[in-house]
Amino acid sequence: MADVIVPMEGKVIKINVKVGDTVSADDEIIIMEAMKMEMPVSAGVSGVVKEIKVSVGQTFPADSAIMAIE
Amino acid sequence: MKQYWQKMKDVGKALTDAQIEQMKESKAQIDAVYADLDKEFQRVKEAGMSADDVRKRGQMTIWDRIEYITDPGMFFPLHTLYNPANNEEGMTGVIDGLARISGKWCILIGFDNKVMAGAWIAGQSENILRVTDIAKNLHVPVVWLVNCSGAKLPEQERLYANRRGSGTCFFRHAELEQAGIPVLAGIYGTNPAGGGYQGISPTILLAHKDCNIAVGGGGIVSGMSPKGFFDEETAEELIKATRHFKESPPGSIGVHYDVTGFFRAVFETETGVLDGLKEYMAEMPAYNPRFFRVADPAEPKFPATDIASIVPYNQKAVYKFEEILARLSDNSEHMEFRPDYGPEIYSGLIKVDGFPVAVIANRQGFLGATYPEYTNAYMGVGGKLYRQGLIKMSEFVTMCSRDRVPIIWFQDTSGIDVGDIAEKAELLGLGQSLIYSIEQTGVPMMLVVLRKGSAAAHYVMGGPTANNHCAFALGTATTEIYVMHGETAAAASYARRLVKDKDAGKDLAPIIAKMNAMVKDYTDKSRPVFCAKTGFVDEVIRYEDIRNYMVAFTNAVYQNPRSICPQHHMILPRMIQSQVVKGQPRPPKE
Repeated sequence: MADVIVPMEGKVIKINVKVGDTVSADDEIIIMEAMKMEMPVSAGVSGVVKEIKVSVGQTFPADSAIMAIE
Repeated sequence: MKQYWQKMKDVGKALTDAQIEQMKESKAQIDAVYADLDKEFQRVKEAGMSADDVRKRGQMTIWDRIEYITDPGMFFPLHTLYNPANNEEGMTGVIDGLARISGKWCILIGFDNKVMAGAWIAGQSENILRVTDIAKNLHVPVVWLVNCSGAKLPEQERLYANRRGSGTCFFRHAELEQAGIPVLAGIYGTNPAGGGYQGISPTILLAHKDCNIAVGGGGIVSGMSPKGFFDEETAEELIKATRHFKESPPGSIGVHYDVTGFFRAVFETETGVLDGLKEYMAEMPAYNPRFFRVADPAEPKFPATDIASIVPYNQKAVYKFEEILARLSDNSEHMEFRPDYGPEIYSGLIKVDGFPVAVIANRQGFLGATYPEYTNAYMGVGGKLYRQGLIKMSEFVTMCSRDRVPIIWFQDTSGIDVGDIAEKAELLGLGQSLIYSIEQTGVPMMLVVLRKGSAAAHYVMGGPTANNHCAFALGTATTEIYVMHGETAAAASYARRLVKDKDAGKDLAPIIAKMNAMVKDYTDKSRPVFCAKTGFVDEVIRYEDIRNYMVAFTNAVYQNPRSICPQHHMILPRMIQSQVVKGQPRPPKE
C-alpha cells in the first residue's frame, strides 16, 4: 500500500477516481488549487485505489496523504 | 555537426481519446473566441467601399493584389485588427504581413484602396513604423503597394505632424535603404502630397499607366491663390482648375517616366505592375536555405490541431509545454538546455523547416518541493519566474547570440516571485539583467503569448515593450495581457479603502461594486481582440497557424542575415549535449 503525498498545501477542486479504480502512475487522480493555479496530482504508482482521504472543497496542509493505492 | 542536429531527442506523446474528451468544453470556449475574431477580421476585410465597386472601376482591391503577388498560401497577415488611434475607419488603412514573393521573403504592405482611396488616417503611421521595424529586424525587403490619396484633411492634426507622424514613414524608408534593405513599390492611382512621398521614397518604383505621384495634387494646386475667402469668382476658378487637373493630374507618367525617370517601368495593367515586382523580388539577395539548414525539413509528428486540446481555456489550469513544442518542432525533436536547472523555464534548440531555432517558454504546474532553492517558506509554481529560471534565460540568450540562433518566446507567465525573500534572491536585478542580455543579443526574435503575459515577466521574457529585437508578437484565443490580474489589481486598489470603511461602520457594497467593475474592465481590456487593436500583439492567430508563422519567421531570418556563425563553430549544441559540466563521456576501452 502506498500513500499519495502532496508536498504543497492546497484545496481539492476535483477527484477523478473512486475507490476500486485501477490507476496508472501518470493518471491525474485529483485536481488541487494552490497559489491561484489548478494543478493535477498524479498517482505516482500504478495500482488500485483503496482509500480517498480528502473530499472536494477540503483544504489540506503540505505533506498530506490524500489517497492510498495498493 | 550531424551528430547534434540530425536526430535530436523526441518530445511529446499522441493525445488520448480521454484527453480530447476531457478538454472538449475548453476547446469549445476557444472556438467561440476564434469565431468572434473571424467576425472582426471580416469587418476589416470589408472596410470602406465594396470590393465589387472597386473592381467595376477596373481596379484590384488590396486583397486582390496581395493574393496575386504572393506565392500561394505564403501571406501571413499582421496588424489586421490594429487601430491604435481608435479611428472611425476601424483599421489603419494599410494591410500588411510577412510574405513570400517569387520564393523570397519580405514584408508586404499596401494601402487599402477601398478605404478613402488609401488615405493617411489616424494611427496608420504607427502601423507602417511597425512594418519598417520588422524589415529592420529580419533584414528583408519591404514591398509596398502604394495607392494613397494623401492625408484625411478633416483630421490632419491626428496624423500629419509629430515624431511618429505620417511623414516619419519616408524617413524610415531612407533609414532602411541606408541599412541595405531595399523598398520596392508598385504604384497605383492618384498619390498626391503624402501619397506622392509614399510613392517617391522607396528604392524601385514601378508604375501603373494611370498612376501619378506629386508634391501636391490637383486639389492643392487649384487652391494655391485664395483671396483669403471663397466667393462666386474663386469657386468658378476652382471648378475650371479641378476639371483640368482631373484630365491631367500633376506627376503622371508623362512627367515621372518620360521626364524625371523616377519610375523604372510603366505597366499597362494592374497585374503587370505586380508581375514587375515579382521579377524584382526574384532578384533580391538571398542565401540558398542549404547554407544554414542543419537537417532536411520535416513536419512535426503530431498535428497542430491538437494544441486547442492541450492549452486550457481556464487560465488556472495547467498543461505541459513540451506537448505544445511537440506540435511545432520539426519531427517533434528538441535539445533542452539545462533541464535540471530553473524548472519553471523550458529553453532549448529545435529545428524549424530544417533551420536551427531557439525556444524559451514558461512551464506550468508544481515545480517540486525544494524549489525555489532560496526559501523553505513557500514552493514554486510554473508561470512564475524564480532565480534559476532568470539566470538560465540570460545564459541561454547570450549563447544564442554567440551562435546567431533566432529565438522564439512562448509566454504564459503571471510574473516574477515577489517579497523580501525574492528581493534577497536578487530577482529584481536578475529580471533587468535578462533585459540587458536580450538587448545585447542582436538576434531576431518572435513572441507568442500563449496565455498570460503579465507583470514584469511580460517585459523580461522577450516582450516587445522591452526588446528591440522582437520582430513581432502573436496572440491566440487564450491570450491575456495586463500588468496584473484584475482581481489582484482590485485588491491592491481598494484594500485600504475597505479597511477604512469597515472601521467607520460604512456599507462595503459600493466599494465591492467598484472592485468587481475593475475586474471586468481588466478582463475587457486584456483579451485577444483588445490586444490586437491596441497593438499589444501584432496579430491574433489560430493555434494551428503558430508553426506556419514560425516557418515564415525562420525562413525570413535566414534569408539574408547580417551576421553568421558557421555551424561547426556553434557552442550551444555542444554545451547542451555535455550539459555544461558533465563533459562528453569517455569512449569505452577497445
